Formats: sequence, structure tokens, C-alpha cells
Amino acid sequence: MAVKDNEARDDEFPSIPKIDRLIHEPARLTIVAHLFVVESADFLFLQHQTGLTWGNLSSHISKLEAAGYVEVIKEFIDRKPHTALRLTNKGRSAFKEYRQNMKQVFEELPSSRKGV
Amino acid sequence: MDVKVNLKEIERKAYTSYHQDGLIDVFAGFIILSFGPWLMTDMAWMPAVMWIVGVSAYTAAKRAFTIPRIGFVKLAQHRAKALYYIAVMGFSLSALLGAVVFMEVEGGSLPLWLLLASEYHMPIIGLSLAASFCAVGYALRIRRMYAYALLATIMFAVGYFLYYPLQYYVILLGTLILLSGLALLVHFIRDYPLRTPGSMGDDGSEGQRSQR
Repeated sequence: MAVKDNEARDDEFPSIPKIDRLIHEPARLTIVAHLFVVESADFLFLQHQTGLTWGNLSSHISKLEAAGYVEVIKEFIDRKPHTALRLTNKGRSAFKEYRQNMKQVFEELPSSRKGV
Repeated sequence: MDVKVNLKEIERKAYTSYHQDGLIDVFAGFIILSFGPWLMTDMAWMPAVMWIVGVSAYTAAKRAFTIPRIGFVKLAQHRAKALYYIAVMGFSLSALLGAVVFMEVEGGSLPLWLLLASEYHMPIIGLSLAASFCAVGYALRIRRMYAYALLATIMFAVGYFLYYPLQYYVILLGTLILLSGLALLVHFIRDYPLRTPGSMGDDGSEGQRSQR
């Protein structure tokens, strides 16, 4: 029954299955969107911008890194260790595709319903 | 939901927060201010020296005040390129204009455009400064730069009618921008206190998020 429901939904909104669930999660979407508009940023900057806690940010970054969307660059600045984060080309493409698919999903939604 | 607008807003917020320390204002005010003593005492080397000192001080201050408090961000490539092209164009145009004026003056003839430029030098300087502020404001997405552009335009336009020496307006504008930057810096330091070393991770991360 559930499978049939899913199939019916996919027929109605064909763009939904294309949505990247890894990016769709709100915290990760915020992280990816912030990294998309800059060249690179460090943990502290992302923490201030996204409002996520250190642990939360770290765990989401690990997932994005595992998917190959984010590159974690460890470097030394003034002899101090520094971690910079950068969206990879794969991550950039995935985010662009995600935006396109989301746009399509909203376009597929009926603009008004009868009797509502 | 317009995704494009939201991304623009995120980008604007990121750059605004990175430049909310007021250091770029202090730097700009300092450079403009350095033209005052040059005009008063004929020390033409002053702005060049101040530029070198200013750039070094800006980089050091960014490392000392901003990065430990709100972290580090690298501009998107297209923004960095825009800033680079603006700087190159600014320097090239200034050098070209300087060379043309020098050749005309050395040649002994003063064409009409040079006489007009000399007559209206106050509004021209004001508009040039305003254009520079607008360019920096656009490249770095700092809205207050447009306010400085307006201030420079008004100040030098008014100056055209008041007949006070040019250096007074240069010093006044430089001082106002410098003070505005210092006020922003004080607010920034107050809003983002430095964490104790114990609460920071190896990579500069915090143990707890700052409460604003």
C-alpha cells in the first residue's frame, strides 16, 4: 500500500525522488549554502554564520566530507593549526542540482485548489 | 521562495559580518587622512608610505582582532577578481591621468579640459572618492561604503562653494571615516569577546558558541 502511495506521489511530483537528501537536511543545507557563496571558511566562521553548535557542525561536516561534497583543509597559520572548509566541485554541482530540483518541485505544485 | 535572493542575502551577511570589525574603515580613513599632510607640507611620499604601513597594519589587525573572534573566510573568486580589477583600473587610471596632466603642464599649454578640471577640482575629487567607495562597497558587499560615498560627494560639493583649502576637507573626511571605523571596532570587540585558550579546540574551534 505504502509502495503504491509512493509510486502515485512520484507520478504526481516526478522531481521529488531527485532531491538530494544529504543536502535537504536543514543544518546541512545551511552549511552548504554558506560554503557555496565563499571560496572557503573555517569552523569558527561557519559556527557564527549558521548558529550551529561545535558538535553539530562537526558531525554534519563529517557527513558532507564523506559524500565528497566538502573538503577539509588542515593548515598552519602563524604556526597555529587551522582548519578550513571548502565546497568541492562535486558539492557545488550537487547544490546547484538540488536548487534546480527544488524549484521544479515547487513549479509542479498546483497553484490553487478548488474549494480551498 | 526565491532561492537566488536567499543566496545573495547569505553572501551579503557573510561578508558584512567579516567586515563588521570596522578595520577597513580605519584603513580607508587612515589613507585619506595621509593625503592631508601631503597637501599641507608637500610631502609627496607620505601617501605611498602610509599605504604600505596601512596594508601591513590592516593585515596584522585582521589577524589579531577579527579571525580569533569570528573566524576566517576567503572571498568567492568572482568577488576577489572584481576587487583586483577595480584596484588595477583605479591605479591605471590615476597613473594615466597623472602622466597626461604632467605632459600637458610640462608642454606649457593648458588645454580647456585641464582648466575646467582645475576649476572644478573639488567636485571631481569628491566624485572620484565616491566612485572608489562604491566600487569597494560593491566588491565586498559593505553597505556603509555607499554612505561614505555620499558623505564624500556632499562634503566636496559643499567645499566647492565654501573656498576653504582642499586639505581641510580631506583631513575632515579621513577623520570621520577613521572615527567611524574605530567606533565599529570597539563595538565588535565588545560583541565578540575572545575565548579563553581552554575553551578553544586545536583548530581554533570554540567549546561553546558565543552569545550575542
